[in-house]
Amino acid sequence: MKALAAALVVLLATGDDALAHRLDEYLQATRVSFARDRLAIDVDLTPGVSIASGVIAMLDTNADGAVASAEAGGYGRSVLSDLRVSLDGNRIGMTLEGIDIPTLDEMRNGTGTIRLHAAGRVEVGAGRHLVEVINNHRPETSVYMVNALVPEDSGIDIVSQSRDPRQREFRAEYDVTSEWVGYVMLLGMGTAGVVFAAKRRNEKRKTNSEKRIIKTTNE
Amino acid sequence: MPLSTRVLLAVFLASGAIGAPAAFQRPTPSAGTTTGAVAAANAFLATLDAAQRSKATLEFNEKTRVVWSNLPSGMPMQVGATERNGLKLADMTPPQEKAALALIATILSREGYQKAMEIVDADQLLETRSAPTRKPGAPIRFGRGEYYVSILGKPSATEPWMMQFGGHHLAINVTMAGNAHVLAPTHTGAQPASYTVAGKLIRPLGDENDRAFELINALNAEQQKQAILGYEVRNLVLGPGTDGKTIPPEGVRAATFTPAQRTVLLALIREWVGILDDQASAAKMKEIESGLAETYFAWAGATTNGRGAYFRVQGPSVFIEYAPQGAGENNIDHIHTIYREPANDYAARAARR
Repeated sequence: MKALAAALVVLLATGDDALAHRLDEYLQATRVSFARDRLAIDVDLTPGVSIASGVIAMLDTNADGAVASAEAGGYGRSVLSDLRVSLDGNRIGMTLEGIDIPTLDEMRNGTGTIRLHAAGRVEVGAGRHLVEVINNHRPETSVYMVNALVPEDSGIDIVSQSRDPRQREFRAEYDVTSEWVGYVMLLGMGTAGVVFAAKRRNEKRKTNSEKRIIKTTNE
Repeated sequence: MPLSTRVLLAVFLASGAIGAPAAFQRPTPSAGTTTGAVAAANAFLATLDAAQRSKATLEFNEKTRVVWSNLPSGMPMQVGATERNGLKLADMTPPQEKAALALIATILSREGYQKAMEIVDADQLLETRSAPTRKPGAPIRFGRGEYYVSILGKPSATEPWMMQFGGHHLAINVTMAGNAHVLAPTHTGAQPASYTVAGKLIRPLGDENDRAFELINALNAEQQKQAILGYEVRNLVLGPGTDGKTIPPEGVRAATFTPAQRTVLLALIREWVGILDDQASAAKMKEIESGLAETYFAWAGATTNGRGAYFRVQGPSVFIEYAPQGAGENNIDHIHTIYREPANDYAARAARR
């Protein structure tokens, strides 16, 4: 029986579904981006071959074989409604900013990825904050990944991340420094740079003048 | 096809005894220097006619260099392009292909070239296995002929340019900027992850797997506790299509490692870095070693070799992920990996200078 099961796995890997990604799972990979005034979420959703028809039915609601932008938007919003995103315990309203839909054939082959982009407005002051993301979209067939991205703002620092074993629930703590601290640091670095450059210029001038003295003496 | 026939066929194919192509012969390489690479690139271009040359060469810029993927031909890539850059092997004459392979061999190390060709061979096997059951008109194609060679920018000993060699499960992206040769970002993968050629077992990414298991098992209980993530990881986090993104490090810090553990970690990292020519990879390994104390090793999955496990190495100048994709017994017959250099993909550091 074990050999037969192994053979079936190989069959799936080498037959019509030669790409052999996980066939019966809906992979949802989420990336969370932090800024002072916004929290952005990108979700890549890839249905496996054997569950693609169910996802297609949710997308192509009029079953005409194509996904209109209204249908794509509708699905995107339904995914967002299944995501619970909160900051310091308060739920954030996420707005769908875009959704890319692959062809239905790509999804039927298990190779199509739906890419969803959403963001919510936040106002974070200096101090520690906690973001929580709980993904309740199709939990019965889904596998999840969720990661924080390193913020572009150097005044935001992610200090911890935690997840449940399925990565359906995610928590990230991050520290935000006051913007004026950043300005002061920038000013400090700029001043240090100017001082360093002036020092180098003086040293060079001194060396050149010493060289001139030596040259004159030699002459 | 009746199920019983398909099962029998699957058992036969599972032996890996048929369908494997002959392994590529590595052309005699020049030294892995920029001038050697320039000469090999120009020699390859000289074998092409005007139409082929126009396809094989592109400008080197932010839009062209990101066109690469793990996916097979016939599918839109993560960046939206529908075809890889360059000219594919199937559209080359034997002398042109020989010159293309000589270029690749010049830029890569002996081991790197062999690894790349073993990945190509695995994909040829996948094509042999899957073609008979492919739906008519299906655009997806695997196999040796579907690997593309492209040159971005003008081959130069001083100005930045790039060589790409890629197809399903392979995206070698080498940017050369003067003496700086940068392998990042590069994707390797394999399906099947093991097969036989003339009775010899081939595992294109076997050493990566084995060294990682050696490392996780060389850690003490406390280190393992820090290294093993408390959650499952089913794919690459920063795979194709995620250029420029960085994630916070997780796992155990190599600052806690013994010299012996550090040696195994460096050997693991070298499996990716060593794809590049020996001189460039030695310089890169030195840089990685200097930041080793700030390098993290993270693990998700079983710790017994022979079972599928995800791992990640992340340091100041290196980012590596290895993710089994869930095929075969124990989920180990389909692998994806990624190699990146934080803030230095596509030789960004040299470009800034």
